[in-house]
Amino acid sequence: MNDELTWVLQAQQGNQDAFTYLVETYQKPVYNLCYRMLGEPESAEDAAQETFLRVYQHLHRYDRKRPFATWMLSIAAHYCIDRLRKRKFAIFSIDQEDDEGPAFELPDPAAPDPEAESVKREARDRLHGLLGSLDGTDRAAVIMRYWHDLSEAEIAEALHLTVSAVKSRLHRARRELAGLWQEEKPTPRTQRRPHESPAF
Amino acid sequence: MNHQPFELWLLEDQSLDPEQKRALQFHLQTCLHCSALAETGLQLRSVRAAGPASGFTVRFQKRLTAHKLADRRRKFWGMLIFVVGGLSLLAWSAAPALTRLAASPAEWIALILSYIFFIVASLQALTDVGLVLMRVAPGFIPPFAWLVFASALAGIGLLWIISIWRLTYVPRGV
Repeated sequence: MNDELTWVLQAQQGNQDAFTYLVETYQKPVYNLCYRMLGEPESAEDAAQETFLRVYQHLHRYDRKRPFATWMLSIAAHYCIDRLRKRKFAIFSIDQEDDEGPAFELPDPAAPDPEAESVKREARDRLHGLLGSLDGTDRAAVIMRYWHDLSEAEIAEALHLTVSAVKSRLHRARRELAGLWQEEKPTPRTQRRPHESPAF
Repeated sequence: MNHQPFELWLLEDQSLDPEQKRALQFHLQTCLHCSALAETGLQLRSVRAAGPASGFTVRFQKRLTAHKLADRRRKFWGMLIFVVGGLSLLAWSAAPALTRLAASPAEWIALILSYIFFIVASLQALTDVGLVLMRVAPGFIPPFAWLVFASALAGIGLLWIISIWRLTYVPRGV
């Protein structure tokens, strides 16, 4: 029996310390999923806490044959999808991330220079913004695939879809992201304007 | 422009041999769509996971404690309302019988027997009336009355379904 299952079993028997350990261990993946799904740190914090609350309330329903992380991410993803559906006129904010981004991302020790790091961050922010234009379930599938390295079968299990549906959703989402990326890409100016100095 | 098989290679994250890599590189130079697909793929793979602000577990424990307290309060008040309501209803319906019982036990037993007889007789009469109505009523009752009756039945059914759903609700994904 692995360590994780031991903690889960102890938590199922009402051991608070064991549950606290599980929260400590999984807070980052759950928060990350919520953050990428909802786009805002405040909503993500609230959704992550609600996820753990649901995990706590329904721990007795956990099937030991399934990986615990997948079960928990499944709860988080469904909660976020429901929340996104309720947001009828919500605006997906990326400005907020610009302000708060550094508080949630570790500094890159391998960053060669500030300018390159700034370009990288800009691209990451752009991608984060584009994620908001995807359908809730597609977004969850992309996040699980690329941020959490879940296989298509695991994503299918977590989102209650078939493997082929996951594959098709991932392809659709990637195409959509690429299309938006292409549309929003700043086009380099190659021709000089008539009034502009050749020095520019 | 034909994007295949390059698009599929990019979407499936397939490992490519050197010749396929060269072909893909060449295609990417001319195809904006596949180039954007490759770029977003790289971005997706390079992006880092966000983590919560420090103290998440402590905040969660506070929330859990507050939730448990609210749950206990809700259960307590629910149980209190249920018990007090039930006892009040019981006292209200049993009050006349209890008064009589205190006055004369024989009269009380006769009352119970007459009550049982009344219920049996009423059920019998209701059945007879129902059977007669079923034969006669369709011709007399206007359609809108049937509509109201059917709507009321549907409403009761809906209420029943919602109650069952609320009682057995489990969040998705659990």
